[in-house]
Amino acid sequence: MTDLRHTQPDAPPPIAPGTPPILQLQGICKYFPGVIANQDVSLDIAPGEIHALLGENGAGKSTLMNVVTGIYQPDGGEIILNGYGQSLAAPQDAIRAGIGMVHQHFKLVPAFTVAENIHLGWRETPFRASAKTLEARTRALSDRFGFSVRPDAIVADLSAGEQQRVEILRVLARQARLLILDEPTAVLTPAETRDLFRALRAFRAQGNAVILISHKLDEVIDISDRISILRAGRNVGTYRTADCTAAGLATLMVGREIVRRDLRARAPGAAPIAPAPVLSLRAATCRDPRGVETLRDVTLDLHGGEILGIAGVAGNGQRELTQVLTGMMPLSAGEILLDGTPAPLADPAAFARAGIGHIPEDRLRSGLAPSLDITDNMALREYDRPPIGRHGLYDRAAAARLAGTIVEAAEVRVPDLATPIRNLSGGNQQRLVARREIRIASRVLVAAYPSRGLDIGAIATVLRYLTELRDQGVAVVLVSEDLEELLNVADRIGVLFHGRLMATIDAATADMETIGLLMGGRSTQNSPARDGGQA
Amino acid sequence: MAGTLQRQPTVTPARRLAWRAGAVVTALAITTLFLALSGRDPRLLADLVVRSTVGSRFGLEDLALFLTPLLLTGAAVTVTGRIGVWNIGAEGQFYAGAIGATAIGLFLPGPSWLLLPLMAASGIACGMGWILVPALARAYAGVNEIITTLLLNFVAGLLTTYLAVGPWHDRVTGALASTGRLPVRIPEIWGVVHWGFPIALAIVLGLAWLTTRTRWGYQITIGGANEQAARYAGIPVRARILGVMLLSGGLAALAGMFEVAGTVHRLQGGLANNFGYFGIVVAVLARGSCLNVLPAALLMAFILNAGIVLQTQQLTSSAVLAITGLVLFMIAIADELAHYRPVTIRPVTPRPATSAEARP
Repeated sequence: MTDLRHTQPDAPPPIAPGTPPILQLQGICKYFPGVIANQDVSLDIAPGEIHALLGENGAGKSTLMNVVTGIYQPDGGEIILNGYGQSLAAPQDAIRAGIGMVHQHFKLVPAFTVAENIHLGWRETPFRASAKTLEARTRALSDRFGFSVRPDAIVADLSAGEQQRVEILRVLARQARLLILDEPTAVLTPAETRDLFRALRAFRAQGNAVILISHKLDEVIDISDRISILRAGRNVGTYRTADCTAAGLATLMVGREIVRRDLRARAPGAAPIAPAPVLSLRAATCRDPRGVETLRDVTLDLHGGEILGIAGVAGNGQRELTQVLTGMMPLSAGEILLDGTPAPLADPAAFARAGIGHIPEDRLRSGLAPSLDITDNMALREYDRPPIGRHGLYDRAAAARLAGTIVEAAEVRVPDLATPIRNLSGGNQQRLVARREIRIASRVLVAAYPSRGLDIGAIATVLRYLTELRDQGVAVVLVSEDLEELLNVADRIGVLFHGRLMATIDAATADMETIGLLMGGRSTQNSPARDGGQA
Repeated sequence: MAGTLQRQPTVTPARRLAWRAGAVVTALAITTLFLALSGRDPRLLADLVVRSTVGSRFGLEDLALFLTPLLLTGAAVTVTGRIGVWNIGAEGQFYAGAIGATAIGLFLPGPSWLLLPLMAASGIACGMGWILVPALARAYAGVNEIITTLLLNFVAGLLTTYLAVGPWHDRVTGALASTGRLPVRIPEIWGVVHWGFPIALAIVLGLAWLTTRTRWGYQITIGGANEQAARYAGIPVRARILGVMLLSGGLAALAGMFEVAGTVHRLQGGLANNFGYFGIVVAVLARGSCLNVLPAALLMAFILNAGIVLQTQQLTSSAVLAITGLVLFMIAIADELAHYRPVTIRPVTPRPATSAEARP
């Protein structure tokens, strides 16, 4: 590997003229039944650049990266690596060619140590692999690539950011010259994101290249050298990042202008924030089967006509909070009040009947039955009440009418209501779930990560649903990992850390840094020196 | 670029039916081929099979007698399948039902209009009791029901044999390995076909309605499709699993009661005749739909009946299992192939990079 560190550190290295791109795609096409996933995509990735790939959901980013990493074979076009045409028949070919991908969902063995995960399925793993040898080798790799990891730690105990470093190191150890990262910052705190970007710049400085898939425009502008935008499977353009603005990129992605409006502003005639809370938690505590407290002493009030944002790194009690608020999980201690009186036992159906809707975190796993058709899925909340459920019956015709209403309200085009819901795109599934829940949410809507994995257009739609509901006087809880979204939409923001509600702050005056510190477990009172924060 | 095969996510019922018909025809053709190779005259055998199954009154009566237990055991396995549970123990519950019915029939005097419902109730209760422990273990402790229900089959089979040759043995006529003839019988309606047949048909139709048109059926469908989503909607999944498994045990037990009170008239070892296991085959063919149990059970009954005919022609009884396996195998292939259809991809000429490309 050429050492080019004589220039200013972390800057893109000077590249000799005539150096071929690390990766060149020419006219890549990939088709699936009834879908053009990629059409005539040409792209080149030069050594020493961070190349961002932007696009809405379904724009063909994942398919393109699957072609580049040898998972799919292109139906047309050519892949040229370092100037030589090459066919990548299998993922192993791509790894051998120096292409490494870090997926959005990590592919690590949770029960193994970091060192074991790094060496798993690697040809250079020594035959006599004692724990000590592997850890020493891992430490050497960690120093060489500048990704600090603890070699003897068990992966399951690591934070998402640490796991990501292991995943990246795993790829780098296999001599990757092209690193592909799919939504790498989705699970990171702001501080972890900064660390990641620093490491990526160091990687670039050695003449390597990075392809970064992201939805977050500000990050892309911060880190990348060039940006390519995919729309409907085609590359609509590659631009130097210096020439780009966030608004311009957003327009290119969706092919229309995005109106950024202050979502906290009420429409005229909107319901005011109700003085009495509709749903409250008093010292609510939950324990998991092992007795570990997953929610600790949480006290909060939800008022009609208000959006309460819940920030925090995933896994700090958000799941438990949403499940408690929707009657899916009983409390170990404390109480939950509905209109000031203790709520019935944890029974999701009773909570739904009381007007509490729930857009669950993982819609395919817990909000929908993927193999069943749209009608059955849309009836999930109202099957036990007229007109669908009368006298213990299930009226399919009435269910179909309900499904038609929801589909229309969600502005989703479906071939017919008998289509299995798994055949719809993630965005459409989300819209349908959101609409289904909004119908029953006459008093409270708990929305967990409603914009996760959605494109800008779909996010705007779902957030609009939430603000409309707020204006009708419903209390909305929005759990999100996107701080910008929370700051735009929520009236108050609560920050969860290790199951504890660190603080609830006014969104209008809150700033990213404060929330970031709270997310890292520092309460504002205890950290007078803000610049010292590296949580 | 030439045409290729591509997998479709969904298959229309008509298309699947066509592929399945083709699979059955292929399986029969392969069977015929092997019969011919082993020196038999396939045309003669085919003629014989048709005549002694659908081609004569005697054959049709036999077909109905086979169909009766298959409808019930097939439905028993199908209903549990709808909530994602496999009841492999229909065979055992069949025996339990037969034992429960026989106990009433042998030892309780009374008119048949009273005894028959009592026998049915006792049989169903025994079948439900037989599946109760696996059902509780599955619903509340997550114990795999495939293993528990399967293992209880052997217990039930041996218990039946023990009762038939032991405490309940017929000491009057000295019959070899069975109880005495039951004093009551399910009345016949057509030759040897008894009322159990129309009742079984009605039950299957009733189940088809119950599983698709009632709130209970909807809850089971959701629970089977995604247990987490069911919990999210507040459906009491555990109670539903328990209920469906008890229903399933009761259905298989009723088949046992019909068999002992309508067809065999005495309890003997091997009474279940693998009807419980063939019920699994029926359920696999029915793909979770109770309505589909009707044609699936009919096909199975036809194969079983044909197997008897082949045995009279000095073919081994294993031939039935081989043919059943072949049919299932072909149908499994056909179900998968039905997803594929040829598509033609329009050729694409790669163009040079677009003008929007700006190099640094």
